[in-house]
Amino acid sequence: MNRKYAFKSDYWFTLFCYISLAIFSLAVLLPLLNLLAISLSGSPAVNAGNVKFLPSGLQFEAYSHVLQSKQFFVSVSVSVIIASLGSLIGVLLSVMAAYPLSKMNLPGRKWILMVFVFTLVFSGGIVPQYILMHKLHLLNSIWSVIFPYVTNIFYFLLVKNFFEGLPEELEESAKIDGASQLTILFRVFLPISKPVIATISLFFIVELWNEYFLSKMFITKQSLMPLQVYLRSVIFEAMDPTGRSTMESKVNISPQSIINATIFLSMIPMMILYPMLQKHFAKGIIVGSVKG
Amino acid sequence: MKRKSTFHREGYSELYLILIPPLLLLFIFKYLPMAGIIIAFQDFNIFTGVLKSPFVGLTHFQNLFQDPEFYRILRNTLLINFYKLMFWIPLPLIAALLMNEIRIAVFRRVVQTTIYLPHFLSWVIVGGIFVNLLSSQGPVNEMIVAMGSEPIRFMLDPKFFIQVILASSMWKEVGWGSIVYLAAIASINPEQYEAAMLDGASKFKQMVYVTFPNLLPMIALMTMLALGNILKNSFEQILVMYNAAVYEVADVLETYVFRMGIGQMEYSYSTAVGLFSSLVGFILIVTANTLCRKYLGRGIW
Repeated sequence: MNRKYAFKSDYWFTLFCYISLAIFSLAVLLPLLNLLAISLSGSPAVNAGNVKFLPSGLQFEAYSHVLQSKQFFVSVSVSVIIASLGSLIGVLLSVMAAYPLSKMNLPGRKWILMVFVFTLVFSGGIVPQYILMHKLHLLNSIWSVIFPYVTNIFYFLLVKNFFEGLPEELEESAKIDGASQLTILFRVFLPISKPVIATISLFFIVELWNEYFLSKMFITKQSLMPLQVYLRSVIFEAMDPTGRSTMESKVNISPQSIINATIFLSMIPMMILYPMLQKHFAKGIIVGSVKG
Repeated sequence: MKRKSTFHREGYSELYLILIPPLLLLFIFKYLPMAGIIIAFQDFNIFTGVLKSPFVGLTHFQNLFQDPEFYRILRNTLLINFYKLMFWIPLPLIAALLMNEIRIAVFRRVVQTTIYLPHFLSWVIVGGIFVNLLSSQGPVNEMIVAMGSEPIRFMLDPKFFIQVILASSMWKEVGWGSIVYLAAIASINPEQYEAAMLDGASKFKQMVYVTFPNLLPMIALMTMLALGNILKNSFEQILVMYNAAVYEVADVLETYVFRMGIGQMEYSYSTAVGLFSSLVGFILIVTANTLCRKYLGRGIW
């Protein structure tokens, strides 16, 4: 028995912790392996339901099929545009709202803050939102998805908390140099706010990339269909993943492989961002929940 | 005079100017829809518009409260979220407590990297993953068949669909939820553990008598947060994963509003349902926040 443990029960308890967490991790990992395995397996094995966690009858054609699909390409482009434009505007607006309201002495600060926070606790609901977009002629436009997201109050509060933690001398010395507020914000505050800016940019990107509901509601044109809406129609509504009307002439590949290849390809951007996400999000959520 | 010069020196007018763009967008995309709630009291026609549609008073609310469908949906909403809370409150806490005993850094990092990942996947992707797992030939049904039972059509069976919703939401969020508890554990004073060890407390006892009590405020806060969001919690997940075969058990307030309002264009009636949902949500979250401020010394926002 290991000498590190003061009690015999400590050894068993620690072992129990390791085993439980290993099981938990497997429970997360195996479904993902299942997805990957199906996307890479040949149709006899997939159709017979023999593919579990390792591919059998390896093929990559499912992926080349998806990558050649016009609709997949269109939807990925739409989602990339929504996520990048949205996060850019979202960060800009959050900073612009956070900076003035981080000044404790700003007259009316409390009231303006109330105007922001109230949107957290009460909303007009789905239908008035739809009618608004209809009246603004924003239906079937990516802006109908972007605008409701960029007015997210949580991220604004995160930036505000960060600004409030910065020393006041920073602003004072810049003011003595005769800098305007806008200059102070962009030349003095932003450069030292990189961590929080990075965090909320990632927040915005993830949210907008994964967004389903607003796109489903506001966008009906196929040429503007974001990835998640397309993906759902592929998975749940048996839409041909390649965007063609028939599923013939694919003797070697099961439709299920193509569906799973589509899912896996849609996960790739999040996987690429994941190392960064883990670092910043953990920080962000702690700042947000402990200090918020 | 003096006040005015302070106003100028501090650059307040400029600060207000900076606030205009965010406030403008907030007004258009958050406050205008709130004003749009007025159509719940009208016989709204999208072509005549909000200003010209006739008012009908509380007719839609009377219909609503007489509609058995409404009570079924309210019941679904409360049940699904109640079940979710039963798992959501203990599971991330347990994950964090287990993680706290891990001393091998590599193991810890691998586990964390794995269990946080699903949080970043969309509900559509999570739905797709569960369709695989639960398909008639998938791994889960294979086990069921191996144990001598009939395969279950999980996604189409009203008896099992709620379990699917629960399992998939826990799969997605439990790992992520453990982060706040891990952070709280990290801030516990090590002297408390040293004292416990001197008293001869085993690791398990340290967990029960030192770690757990220190986490109580955080547990209360997370519970309040979850309670405050109880109505809007499962909306997108259900919207993605449900289908006509399971409407009976899976329809929640918001999905119902979405189908009636956007799908069937019953604008006024569905806005009335939506207003009910928003009001209940408002009361819940404000109560939760007040309780947090009173007993925990800090609010949700």
